[in-house]
Amino acid sequence: MTARNTFAQGMTLTWRSLVPLRNQPGELIQLLLQPIFMIVIFVVVFGAMSGDQSGAVQRLLPGVLTQVALTQTITTGLRLAEDIGNGVFDRFRSMPIARSAPLMGRILADTATMTLTVAVALLVGSVVGFRIRTSPLEALGGVALLLAFTLALGWVSAWLGLRARSAASMQGLATAVLLPLSFGSTALIPAANMPGALQWWARLNPVSHLADSLRSLFTGGPVGANVWITLGWIVAITACFVPLAVRTYARRIR
Amino acid sequence: MSNTIEAEGLVKRYGDKTALDGVDLEARAGSVLGVLGPNGAGKTTAVRILATLVGPDGGVARVGGHDVTREPAKVRELIGLTGQYASVDEKLTGRQNLMMIGRLLGLGRAPARARAEDLIGRFGLQNAADRAAQTYSGGMRRRLDLAVSLVGEPSIIFMDEPTTGLDPQVRAELWTVVREQIARGATVLLTTQYLEEADQLADEIVLIDRGKVSARGTPDELKARAGDRRLEIRPEHDAEKAERILAEVTGLRPHRGENGVISVPVLDPALPPAALRRLDDAGIVLTEHALRRPTLDEAFLALVAAPAEGLTDHTAANAAERRSA
Ligand SMILES: Nc1ncnc2c1ncn2[C@@H]1O[C@H](COP(=O)(O)OP(=O)(O)O)[C@@H](O)[C@H]1O
Ligand SMILES: [Mg+2]
Repeated sequence: MTARNTFAQGMTLTWRSLVPLRNQPGELIQLLLQPIFMIVIFVVVFGAMSGDQSGAVQRLLPGVLTQVALTQTITTGLRLAEDIGNGVFDRFRSMPIARSAPLMGRILADTATMTLTVAVALLVGSVVGFRIRTSPLEALGGVALLLAFTLALGWVSAWLGLRARSAASMQGLATAVLLPLSFGSTALIPAANMPGALQWWARLNPVSHLADSLRSLFTGGPVGANVWITLGWIVAITACFVPLAVRTYARRIR
Repeated sequence: MSNTIEAEGLVKRYGDKTALDGVDLEARAGSVLGVLGPNGAGKTTAVRILATLVGPDGGVARVGGHDVTREPAKVRELIGLTGQYASVDEKLTGRQNLMMIGRLLGLGRAPARARAEDLIGRFGLQNAADRAAQTYSGGMRRRLDLAVSLVGEPSIIFMDEPTTGLDPQVRAELWTVVREQIARGATVLLTTQYLEEADQLADEIVLIDRGKVSARGTPDELKARAGDRRLEIRPEHDAEKAERILAEVTGLRPHRGENGVISVPVLDPALPPAALRRLDDAGIVLTEHALRRPTLDEAFLALVAAPAEGLTDHTAANAAERRSA
């Protein structure tokens, strides 16, 4: 299998994962509705409750953005588990194609939809009053940091999906992993407002560091160590879970 | 290179369950091998080994001359697989499914499109080609699945229960499609639970049951063997005596049914008249007597239930006859 063939097959399988968004308006709407819902609920409703609408929007949107992106990382493992469950994976395995192509297609497609989701969330954010106060470079840095973090979690998701016995059990596993990460973080609530044990966890949680990094990179304020800590987590998670996922994948596709 | 399928002594275990227990299979180039067996016999396991999806725990298999465990990539170049459950991408349209496979197999955009168009026509999917596969009926999905497995024009095709669960009309449609592939010269291994289907499509049938081959031969041989005619009588009285007479005449043990019917296989056409004469001589009055050929389904059940040795001996003898002929 030449590198060029492998790449072409990976692109075909990326296309295969993205084309349902074009085929069925429902799929696309579902993808876009999630960020819109989350922003309306958290930013608009909580903002209105706090009385300081524009301050709340600036404070909460970066946090909601991380929640939206985090939730979407489930897709990678879920779709892999589905492909294994309904035999599509076996069809690929019986064909003379690069072993890595199905995994490559999955990751590329999910990176593309994640980018789209983040763009939509920022757009909706700007409609409800969110303003980026920093330089374009810092803002782009924020987006890149978010995408790198979700890509790292995408490998965790892939690993879970390849190990799971079914798509449903993958969903359960992923939720169990994501809940403490997303809700036990300072994405939406400052650590100071949390009870003791949760506060301890929230200060440790990489998602807290990511959300605080995004707040600084989008709205200004001291960046501090948060970006470095987040980058450290990205490197650590990637270094751990890429080999794990690839090994599990290799075992499944043999 | 010849498009043959050969397997010797295939063994596959799942935990302490033995799915295949020493199965030999052979399909000549351009022939159709029907692997017939009830649910759980090991058909899917055999197909998965031959299609390089799982490794055997014992035995060897060569597909198109290539060892499935040592040269799986070579085998994959040659084969097309239609699994037991249609494995199409539900979210793609029929056309997109076919395009995807064509592109993966290295066809350019235009040739992949042309191949898809051709298969859509041949499989009668014109009206559904641009709908997502998840909206397809069972029969359409199976047809699409079959079409997808043929995009690469494989010279060796595996079809695992392609018509199970389909209504007779759809089944007949699929048979036509399968026959077209056979006419193209491909070697086909087809598994089925229906003797009728194997009879319709296969050149040779291997019957497997609980992981072992219990019979093999041409459809006619198997039907003739399993479908031995049976003499059925219902004596008015003296059932024991009648049974004894039948046993003496045929040399086989009759079966006594609950409804008072005694039946026995008859291999020799001269036997039924002889048996009836002996019964008459003995003064046994029959309220009913008949010579019946079992239906295909009964024949299949008989083959599955029969002691394996008798049948394999018989078919071995038949095979020897064929070879010497
Ligand atoms: N992945 C598996 N794990 C455990 N047991 C299996 C597995 N696949 C098949 N079996 C068992 O092996 C036997 C043969 O199964 P299979 O090949 O699917 O039969 P068939 O296709 O003829 O219905 C069955 O008893 C089945 O339960
Ligand atoms: Mg089966």
